[in-house]
Amino acid sequence: MARDLLLEVGAEEIPASFIVPALEDLKRVLSERMADARLKHGEVRTFGTPRRLAVLVRDVADAGEDVTKEVLGPSAKAAFDAQGKATKAAEKFAESLKLSVDALGRTTTPKGEYVSARVEEKGRPADAILQDAVHAAVHGINFKKSMRWGDVDTSFARPVQWLVVLLGDTELPVVLGDVKSGRTTYGHRFLAPAPIALKAPADYEATLEKAHVLADIGKRRASLVEKLTAAAQSAGGQLMEDEGLVDQVTNLVELPSPVVGSFDPRHLDLPPEVLVQEMKSHQRYFSLLDGQGKLLPRFIAVSNTPVRDAQLSLRGYERVLRARLADGRFFFDEDRKTPLGDRVEKLGRVMWQNQLGTYLEKVERFRSLAGWLAQATGRAGEAATVERAATLSKADLVTGMVGEFPELQGVMGREYAKAGGEPDAVALAIYEHYLPRGAEDALPTQDAGALIGLADRLDSLCGIFAIGKAPSGAADPFALRRACLAIIRIVLGRGYRFSLSAAVDEALRLLAPKLVNVKRKPGEAAPREQVLEFFRGRLKALWGEHHRTDVVEAVLAVGFDDLVAAKKRLEALSPLVGHSDFQPLAAAFKRVVNIVEKQGKDVAGGQTNPQRFTDEPEKNLHTAFTQARDKVGERVRADDFAGALREITGLKPAVDTFFDKVMVMAEDKDLRENRIRFLTEIGALFNQVADFSKIQAEVAAA
Amino acid sequence: MYFQDLILTLQKHWADQGCIVTQSYDLEVGAGTMAPYTFLHALGPEPWNVAYVQPSRRPADGRFGENPNRLFQHHQFQVILKPAPKNVQELYLESLRKVGLDPMEHDIRFVEDDWESPTLGAWGLGWEVWCDGEEVTQFTYFQQCGGFDCRPVAAELTYGLERLARYLQNVESVFDIEWVKGVKYREVFHANEVEMSKYALHESDPQMLFALFDAYEKECKRLIERHLPLPAYDYALKCSHAFNLLDARGAISVTERANFIKRVRDNARLCAEGYLQMRERLGYPLTKTPWTVGEQPPVLEGKPASDYWKTVTLNKPVEKKEKTEVARGA
Repeated sequence: MARDLLLEVGAEEIPASFIVPALEDLKRVLSERMADARLKHGEVRTFGTPRRLAVLVRDVADAGEDVTKEVLGPSAKAAFDAQGKATKAAEKFAESLKLSVDALGRTTTPKGEYVSARVEEKGRPADAILQDAVHAAVHGINFKKSMRWGDVDTSFARPVQWLVVLLGDTELPVVLGDVKSGRTTYGHRFLAPAPIALKAPADYEATLEKAHVLADIGKRRASLVEKLTAAAQSAGGQLMEDEGLVDQVTNLVELPSPVVGSFDPRHLDLPPEVLVQEMKSHQRYFSLLDGQGKLLPRFIAVSNTPVRDAQLSLRGYERVLRARLADGRFFFDEDRKTPLGDRVEKLGRVMWQNQLGTYLEKVERFRSLAGWLAQATGRAGEAATVERAATLSKADLVTGMVGEFPELQGVMGREYAKAGGEPDAVALAIYEHYLPRGAEDALPTQDAGALIGLADRLDSLCGIFAIGKAPSGAADPFALRRACLAIIRIVLGRGYRFSLSAAVDEALRLLAPKLVNVKRKPGEAAPREQVLEFFRGRLKALWGEHHRTDVVEAVLAVGFDDLVAAKKRLEALSPLVGHSDFQPLAAAFKRVVNIVEKQGKDVAGGQTNPQRFTDEPEKNLHTAFTQARDKVGERVRADDFAGALREITGLKPAVDTFFDKVMVMAEDKDLRENRIRFLTEIGALFNQVADFSKIQAEVAAA
Repeated sequence: MYFQDLILTLQKHWADQGCIVTQSYDLEVGAGTMAPYTFLHALGPEPWNVAYVQPSRRPADGRFGENPNRLFQHHQFQVILKPAPKNVQELYLESLRKVGLDPMEHDIRFVEDDWESPTLGAWGLGWEVWCDGEEVTQFTYFQQCGGFDCRPVAAELTYGLERLARYLQNVESVFDIEWVKGVKYREVFHANEVEMSKYALHESDPQMLFALFDAYEKECKRLIERHLPLPAYDYALKCSHAFNLLDARGAISVTERANFIKRVRDNARLCAEGYLQMRERLGYPLTKTPWTVGEQPPVLEGKPASDYWKTVTLNKPVEKKEKTEVARGA
């Protein structure tokens, strides 16, 4: 009879951001272990709050399924002698499986014939499987940071307080740190402090709800949103949307209880970003907006406990915010006393990176690089704005406000630039050079901010790679992956045409004085190549989300120096692949490439000589090719890669006839080499769009 | 509740649990953690349960008595429980109830906070405890001290006394806190704030402080060689305070700063090691006492701390990996 399994780890308050990944780990390990043991089960659900991580598995079978496996023994030659009698080897094999030699069979494998046996493997009982699985799961959570406690070796996000492992109504014994499993759980820390004995796994969610805990994260979130919306309405406003904050607050409480508070309206003259940040970053309060989208002098705090008298705890919430806003106002007033331009020099005392120097040095480098990019992208008209905005772009890092709220970098730069009488375009560029701040964020709306942002990020990428601190695995302390993606998004979004490798060279040239003493590890690629390879990796990941990876690789293989062109090539090629007539074209190209690869290295370079052609098909192909080459060239220059592909596709009949009728590997050396040179040129024509040999034919046919 | 009653209530609560109540350490320190009652005693296998008020000097926070929140010197109520009892959160919440913060009336919450002291080579994980959104306590499970693993793990509770008192008395400014009936914090400490801030921010003599730093550092190292870790640690603390004064005065450049911190940390490490050697030599006498506070955690997995320390060779502290560099604006 199928039973349910409940696993609950009770812990002291687990950091909000750890909860979801931890539940994924628990669920994954349990599911894998059950699958390995062939233990059938129904739905797997997870529950999580700051004080608990739980998994409920419905309808677990009583035991793993039995299975018959074939086990291979020694080779047939070794197992039986010439008379067909079993040797020692066969006997030993049979003995190891507790079988008689007669029970052995023979199986033919690609390596030859082997002695084999069919062995029945019994499924283990569910409780034994699950006891091991739970032990592995609770010890196998990969927390971002974990700690030891008491006198135990075990690590967990925070100390473990209780452990429930129930299979049906049976407790399974598991130890985690200094805790033994049982059936006792706990409700809300203050509203239901008494221990609760769980009868059956299926009761879990309802039992906790009675004990004032909404254990299901989705339900708790929905309840939070509903209560927030109602509270906002009652306060005469609407909630300022902030999905990240909703997620975070959901996992900071077991039972959300919003309270509406207010602050002195005179603070509304502070930049709204400052007010929002003051409320959100330390206090996790939600901001409220009026009908026009302007901030109201109100907030919603979310309590974990529905306190007896909301006014009493509101007094606390409001007081904390009052102190914070007073600090914010102090910074805002103090900061504006010094013009942003006067702060630039102070950046010379802030280290950006030990080997690469101070922020001032970085600013000077990327200002120069931004100017270079303005020329390269045909935005020379922006040079003056770029120059001024780049100079000021990091000056807000040494203001009191950004010292307190690093998240406001850029925003404060914009505000202080405006306050100091800088042109609007400069103020905007200071703000926009940080855009996009993440994968979902908006791009800069103007060139100046976009170009400075590109330059700043290129300087970081090239500098960090050049000193040998490239990201490895999960470690990416300078957020270079994000920086690289931002560069790609800006260049494509704003349609900038320039040579990426030339920009990398320029960035490295500007960095050169800092790199004099850097020694490269033996065998390590030059920084330029590393950076470009890094771009290739990001492009593959980014474009692979919407296009087949082999097609992306085919496009990248022939270059991405002009990112915009590379993207257009991909967009032209991608819809063609998978078309019925594409596969033969790819096959034809592969034949070309194969011959060139095999034979081409022995052939001296040089032009094809049309006079040396002897056969009609090769002459025809050459005529068609010459015409196509010119048209492809025209199309490529006009960014019409779909058109270029059509021209290339048009060559296919001539190519086919050529291969059918012409013997490339002719006896005559000159003749042979001339043909190989010709094929090399055809290959090069294809290569203007993509390296077709990278495209997988079997998939292409589908 | 008056400021004084707050202190007395907390002392009584923790004394009732079995803590010894010591007096404040009599040297300038930046935090209760730096007193040897915490930093040194968190090391090694011996139990240790202590509560004390520690006046904590933060020269860079001096605001001439003009800021309602920031002080040159504030007071921490420091509790160390080693090993951390299984019910340490409950014991802590009970102390809040006793000073008048009932969790049914206030939103009391444990919010993630990691603690690290680069000058002590110490770090731990825990929370800041919120009362209606205000941080009233730092709650940390020590993981390393002076570069050594903490086994068993100690829990450190640091109550911000001024903050708690402001909350309890519902006043905006720390200077309006009533110390006892009729006497305010202002009368007791305002002049001290003014003068100490003036000294730290304008009047201190950097040349002298640099010379003192060097001398204290040298003396610390010399005493370590003489196997006197306790006086050596006093000199490590003096070094740290001299550094804080220089830092507040803006006398240390960004590039030098990291180096000064390292010099302080290196001394703290030497003292930690010297202390452990001394305790080992004495046979860890406190392990022979029945001294416990709260519910003791059982050992079910792994080996107990007493076994762990037998395996530690005392002259190479475990180097914690350098904190990863984080670039702002990148």
